[in-house]
Amino acid sequence: MAVNSKLRSAFLWRMLVKALTVRKGRAAIAVASIMVGAAVVFALTSLYLDISRKMSEELRAYGANFFVGPAASSPDRRFDLAAYRKIVASIPEEKLAGASPFLYGVVRLDLGNAVLAGVDFSGLKAISPYWQPEGGWITVDFDERNCIVGRGLADKMELTVGKTVTVFNRDKTFRTELRVKGIVETGEAADEQMFVNMSLAKKIFGTGERIDLAMLSVVAEGTEADALAARINGQFPGVEAKPIRKISQSDGRILDKIEGFMALVAAIILVITTLCVNAILSAMVVERTPEIGLMKALGADDRAIVFQFLAETVLICLVGVGLGLLVGFALAQVLGQTVFSAWVSLRPLVVPLTVGISLVAAIAAAVIPIRSAIGVVPARVLKGE
Amino acid sequence: MYLRMIRQSFFEGRKRKALAAITVALAAALITTLLNLSVDVGDKMAREMKAYGSNIRVVPKSENIPLKIGGVDFNPLKGRDYLDETELTKIKDIFWSNNIVGMAPFLDVPVEIAGKDAGRVSLIGTYFRKSMPLPSDEDYRTGVRITHPYWQVTGAWPDDESASEVLVGRSLAQRLGVAAGETIHVTRPTDGTGGSGQASYRITGILATGEAEDNAIVAPLGAVQGLAGLAGKVQSVSVSALTIPENELSRKAIRDQDSLSTSEYDVWYCSAFVSSIAHQIEEAVINASARPVWQVAAGEGVVIGKLQVLMLVVTLAAFASAAMGVSSLMNTAVMERAKEIGLMKALGAAEWQIHLLFLTEAVIIGVVGGVLGFIAGSGLSQAVGWAVFGSTLAFHWIAVPVVIAVSVATALAGSILPARSITRLMPVEVLYGR
Repeated sequence: MAVNSKLRSAFLWRMLVKALTVRKGRAAIAVASIMVGAAVVFALTSLYLDISRKMSEELRAYGANFFVGPAASSPDRRFDLAAYRKIVASIPEEKLAGASPFLYGVVRLDLGNAVLAGVDFSGLKAISPYWQPEGGWITVDFDERNCIVGRGLADKMELTVGKTVTVFNRDKTFRTELRVKGIVETGEAADEQMFVNMSLAKKIFGTGERIDLAMLSVVAEGTEADALAARINGQFPGVEAKPIRKISQSDGRILDKIEGFMALVAAIILVITTLCVNAILSAMVVERTPEIGLMKALGADDRAIVFQFLAETVLICLVGVGLGLLVGFALAQVLGQTVFSAWVSLRPLVVPLTVGISLVAAIAAAVIPIRSAIGVVPARVLKGE
Repeated sequence: MYLRMIRQSFFEGRKRKALAAITVALAAALITTLLNLSVDVGDKMAREMKAYGSNIRVVPKSENIPLKIGGVDFNPLKGRDYLDETELTKIKDIFWSNNIVGMAPFLDVPVEIAGKDAGRVSLIGTYFRKSMPLPSDEDYRTGVRITHPYWQVTGAWPDDESASEVLVGRSLAQRLGVAAGETIHVTRPTDGTGGSGQASYRITGILATGEAEDNAIVAPLGAVQGLAGLAGKVQSVSVSALTIPENELSRKAIRDQDSLSTSEYDVWYCSAFVSSIAHQIEEAVINASARPVWQVAAGEGVVIGKLQVLMLVVTLAAFASAAMGVSSLMNTAVMERAKEIGLMKALGAAEWQIHLLFLTEAVIIGVVGGVLGFIAGSGLSQAVGWAVFGSTLAFHWIAVPVVIAVSVATALAGSILPARSITRLMPVEVLYGR
């Protein structure tokens, strides 16, 4: 009996190999279509899992989503620059898109008063990607001879790029000449202000190491911004941190929409790809009715036939999925690079998911034709009816 | 003879043909859905992006430089320029009227709070959700609840018609130690502009925005106008408009409008760029300067641009897989009929006749599948539209020929190669089953 069953399984195995090698072309087509299906499923699922983080980074184009100001108890409505530095240092580097402190005050220019802000220009550039100054940015942090001026202020003070402006502090104890390096239009309050490096602003206002506020741009999904605010408020007394609702709340809403949208698109593609693969496999099984007739005529029972077909399907499927995983990973990278100019990370979850979906699809595809194969009457098939 | 063969071959392998047509239909449904979504995703997301608030700010042309620090304006009100509240309806009167989602006027007055040592604070007058009858729409309502959907109020919103209800910013409320339900008294530092100068307000709610309003009092516009003696005046208007992302043309228009040629100007003027909508608002409202809020307008462009690329790439990937599926199915269908082809050749059929037979079949399958798929796909895309955006997607006639052409092309692509290789075989070999 043991020998018999061993013999039998050897025979089945031979048939399996034969079936696949004799019909090389056909098997190749099936493998190829499963490969494409698996690759698309794999790539889209990978992309979907990364999309929240990637889009959250894209949404940083809206600028700062986080505000840090003095606590209500602060005597001069300012807080320490050192506290700002510590807060920035406490945020993981990959989460922080940019940050800048702001120190505001009123200065006298040649033609009237204006608000001057001391900032950290490299940080400001990162939290205000929508600023595109005519002229140029101030690029070095210790530059105390240039300034950037808002469009409205520039028009009223008759300033153009390259012109020099004299700046006095309010009681005229400090005087400096600044060259207008760039003029910026934002549509907001910044249009009426001028911007210089923090080091110069401290000299003009003589406020020491205190700042009015700070703006941060943090890659945060959903309620992460609120959690961060709570953490900072707990850790640093003397400051009050809060998410800028305009940005942080809207980010969450938009991310939800994009995720839902991608999930639906991915699901549709998945279902339809599965059905396409399904149709191809069904065609393959139907076409082999004569073979089944012959097997039956030679004495194969239903179980053997079912086993034979399932084994074949699974084998083709495994080869196809294996190739599909490789192609899909490459495809995911192509998608990531074209859309987000970033690599899509490989998540372990995606592999079993893709394999599972493909196998289920293939077996579902095989079930109906196999059922009809069992009902085949050998004599009629062999006669060619 | 030819027609009969076509008919024969259809009735012979009906099951197979149906399967092929279904596969084509599935692929076509997929393509239709993605096509509809790609065309509409920009519009739909633009609407979602309104969550970021208004993208155009309208101010008087010759506004003095505001000396605003921490949201408090230190400039005297006297001798300032204002916009007329009655001009507001004109904003909704421009060519892009349907793209104007909402607007909110603002009037900002520095006040002191009686009995509290809080220094100067801003009292901001605005519309919350005020009825603003238009000739075209009697029931039109607008205000910050539409243009600033991220404003979070704990308690109730004040009534626009009331002169004594206000919201207090979260930080200010904390500083003053007041809560909803209490009453505050404000006085306006005298600068000789008239108005009542003093008022008592009942706090209906606490406002959190994360911005300057956290340190301000927000009241109905009429109340602030009365306090400041500026009846019918507003300082700025925030407009929320549906726009399309900037392109080369609009950037050129922003740099220098005079450099546009006449036809370029027409194209720019008739596109919903934020700059051209702002330009049309300037034309409509007397003495106004309308400026895009670049934080919102530019960010929107970036994100929608990304989404459109994402959709396009996903559509292409899905398209490739669908085409591959259809082609391989057609391939199987043709290969399996090798015997038939051998017989036809043995009976003296020319190669082109055999090709014609297969191609006609492929075209029929493609058209039938394409039409069925288009119908299914249209339904599917509406379902997606409802599920994600809560609204239907527009119907695009252009999708009909595209989907059918694509279906036929994939069916043809799948048939041509195997048919060619089979027709090259010797009839005898095929008939023997080699």
